[in-house]
Amino acid sequence: MNGIRLPIELTAASVVTIAAILILPHVLELFALINATVYVSMAVLALSLALVWGFGGILCFGQATFFGLGGYAYAVAAINFGDTVYAVPVAIAVPALVAAALGYVMFYGRISDVYIGAITLTLTLILFNFVNSTSGDQWRIGAAPLGGFNGIPSTPPLNMPGDPGNPLPPEWIFAVAMLSLLICYIIAKLILRARFGRVIVAIRENERRAELLGYDVRAYKLGIFVIGGAMAGLSGLLFANCVFVSPTMFSLFYSGQIIVWVMVGGLSTLVGPVIGAILLNLLTTWAGTLPEINPSLILGAILALAVLVMPRGILPSLATVLGRFRGARGMT
Amino acid sequence: MTALLATEHLTMRFGGVVAVDDVSLAVADGELRCLIGPNGAGKSTLFKCLTGQIKPSAGRILWRGQDITGLNSFEIARLGVGIKTQVPSLFDGLTVLESVRLALRRQARERVARVQALATLERLGIVELAQHLVVLLAHGQRQLVELAMVVAPEPDLIILDEPTAGMSAEETTRAARVIRALNAAHTIIVVEHDMQFIRAIAKTVTVLHQGRVLIEDDVASVLADRRVQDVYLGKTDVSWQVVA
Amino acid sequence: MALDIVFAVGFQVLSGVATLLITSLGLAIIFGMMRVINLAHGEFLMLGAYAAILSARAGLNIWIAMLVVAPLAVGGIGLIIERLIIRQLYGRMVDTMLATWGLSLALIGAVTMIFGNTVAGFSAPLGSFAIGSFTASAYALFLIVAAVILLGGVWAILRFTPAGLIARGTMQNAEMASALGVSPDRVYAVTFAAGSAVSGLAGALIAPFSGVVPTMGAAFIAKSFITVITGGAAMLAGTFSASGLLGTVATLGTFATTPVFGEVMMLAVAIVLLRLLPQGITGRFFRRAL
Repeated sequence: MNGIRLPIELTAASVVTIAAILILPHVLELFALINATVYVSMAVLALSLALVWGFGGILCFGQATFFGLGGYAYAVAAINFGDTVYAVPVAIAVPALVAAALGYVMFYGRISDVYIGAITLTLTLILFNFVNSTSGDQWRIGAAPLGGFNGIPSTPPLNMPGDPGNPLPPEWIFAVAMLSLLICYIIAKLILRARFGRVIVAIRENERRAELLGYDVRAYKLGIFVIGGAMAGLSGLLFANCVFVSPTMFSLFYSGQIIVWVMVGGLSTLVGPVIGAILLNLLTTWAGTLPEINPSLILGAILALAVLVMPRGILPSLATVLGRFRGARGMT
Repeated sequence: MTALLATEHLTMRFGGVVAVDDVSLAVADGELRCLIGPNGAGKSTLFKCLTGQIKPSAGRILWRGQDITGLNSFEIARLGVGIKTQVPSLFDGLTVLESVRLALRRQARERVARVQALATLERLGIVELAQHLVVLLAHGQRQLVELAMVVAPEPDLIILDEPTAGMSAEETTRAARVIRALNAAHTIIVVEHDMQFIRAIAKTVTVLHQGRVLIEDDVASVLADRRVQDVYLGKTDVSWQVVA
Repeated sequence: MALDIVFAVGFQVLSGVATLLITSLGLAIIFGMMRVINLAHGEFLMLGAYAAILSARAGLNIWIAMLVVAPLAVGGIGLIIERLIIRQLYGRMVDTMLATWGLSLALIGAVTMIFGNTVAGFSAPLGSFAIGSFTASAYALFLIVAAVILLGGVWAILRFTPAGLIARGTMQNAEMASALGVSPDRVYAVTFAAGSAVSGLAGALIAPFSGVVPTMGAAFIAKSFITVITGGAAMLAGTFSASGLLGTVATLGTFATTPVFGEVMMLAVAIVLLRLLPQGITGRFFRRAL
């Protein structure tokens, strides 16, 4: 059954991606297109936490750490290298390495759930404070000044491979972002289909039993954590390409936001958090245009309500209700 | 002949309390061994040491003569040890078949694993539950699913922690029959305190008392031993009540 | 001369420890008694600071605004939040964390909408004094004293009053306490309100140092969070020992390098401690303490 569903899902995702790449740049104005690219980068970020938390059961409250590190690593490497294409592997490797080091300490140290939440949250806040404190000329890596609370406004966009003088136009950046999202989705799907992914889910279900069956739980958790870190890094890179990097990438608001997307989209689904990220970004952008409403208030209220009323996630609950409605009609 | 699993002067202290005190025992290949004792005798601590959940303070654990003291649970499982916990420890969100497939860790080929998993379910008479979600099963079925996960990879040794906890007399008798049948293919260690159950299955019994080995003999001699009666009838340990 | 430095550093360490203790205690009371981690704790501090500054602006004596109005206001808010959110999720630790995180975001948003995202502040209501050739803020001294009084006060309430006895009983064994006719619901409501009140007081007390902004909670939540977790189950002994240790590390780290490095040191020490003592400091030591 699953053997047939997988190709269908992947084909559908590919069709949506290609359609978006072909259509949206012609429909949207430049500003809206850049905004759409930001949303897509957020969707990649949501996907990364869906893997780590939704499927891996790892209570990572600081996924923004890897998002910010990816963005900063990209900006610093791009400024130093000149050819920004070479900055891409750096933007993925740096957060992945940090995730590996942090994950090693946490999982091999057998630190439990709530403590993992505390440690990851604290780490991202410390990075927030750290990056904020890096204004002044002594804080530079090679040619790149870190810029303190101003961030790095001169973050260069991606260029044509091999042609540093030729930056990609926004339509191309959008296409790159969409393709990145598609690739991450396919990777996530394949991981979950593979043995590795099924063991990950088993560990979420019952860590002790997985261990008693002979699985090295620590290694599996570390693995999914690093993959999630790398994806979040990629999302930071995409974000840096539409806006620029600044300390807010590490802020409590961002960390909280990612949690809300996954919570709304539903734990243990992949498409849910992606849709959740895009919908909630549309919502907060719209709310941002109303002077009397603060996006933080909306996000917070949605999170609290989601936990209280629909702990399975808002989108899955809606889907169930719709499904029941359709099912009822089908029977008549 | 080298024992399959042996302990040498195994000791576990918690602060000032010595829960397991200088325990040396050896379980041979093919044996069905019962570890019994009243509450607080150190049975569950010994179980946790043997299954790698805690690291003993002193002494050694040997697997076919190799020192395995201090290995993690998963490493002990990989030696070929199946472990059944007192309260069934299961993957509630998975189906029965998926659970048993996960237990066949070493079988990389999907089709072969599926056949093996189904064969195990068949053997335990729960093949019709294969596609059921574990969370929806009744208590007795959950016990069997866990047993299926334990026996599926054909472990050399199975360690069962209080398999009859919460069972009726009739269920206990049936469980004893299942365990004797399993013994045809696997070495088994049962940690238990139900005397009736011990009578029904045991060949060799090791009685623990206050962390030490009180006596180790065949079941008839153990039951006839005055010290065991003292321990179980409460002359030395008033809190103990005979379940049988 | 050298002695001056020792005193000055010692004073800084003490005031760092006191700040950490004051800002963690409310969270610790709620965690210790109810096993609830309130991620809106930082915003409770923020609300306390706003309560103090607003009532002081309205003409109230600054000490009354800080020491009376702030805890009462936030305690009242806590009572409402316990009823609306915490009670619904009791026993579901992770869900409670998520819901209170939502509350935290919502409170930041709501306060920003009402008061704007600007820093308000009031200066420390006490002057400064000299330690040899160093000057130190008298308000910092006041904070140290306040921390001692607060800790001692909570201890005395738990130890000597009938309400404290009920609280300790419920903490030890909620079922038993309810079998004896104590309503756990009421104990939890009162506990959460009391913890919130302590947080509100803490927010008012630190406001002269930190400035008052809607987002001020973020600076404290992580530190309080790891302090409480490092402290472990016994709320007073745990908070005291953990803030003593982590506050010292952070302050000395700050002295040696930068405040950020001090925080990094603090987190590193906390991780090492959790590795060695998974149940926190009081999971291993002072287990019978409060």
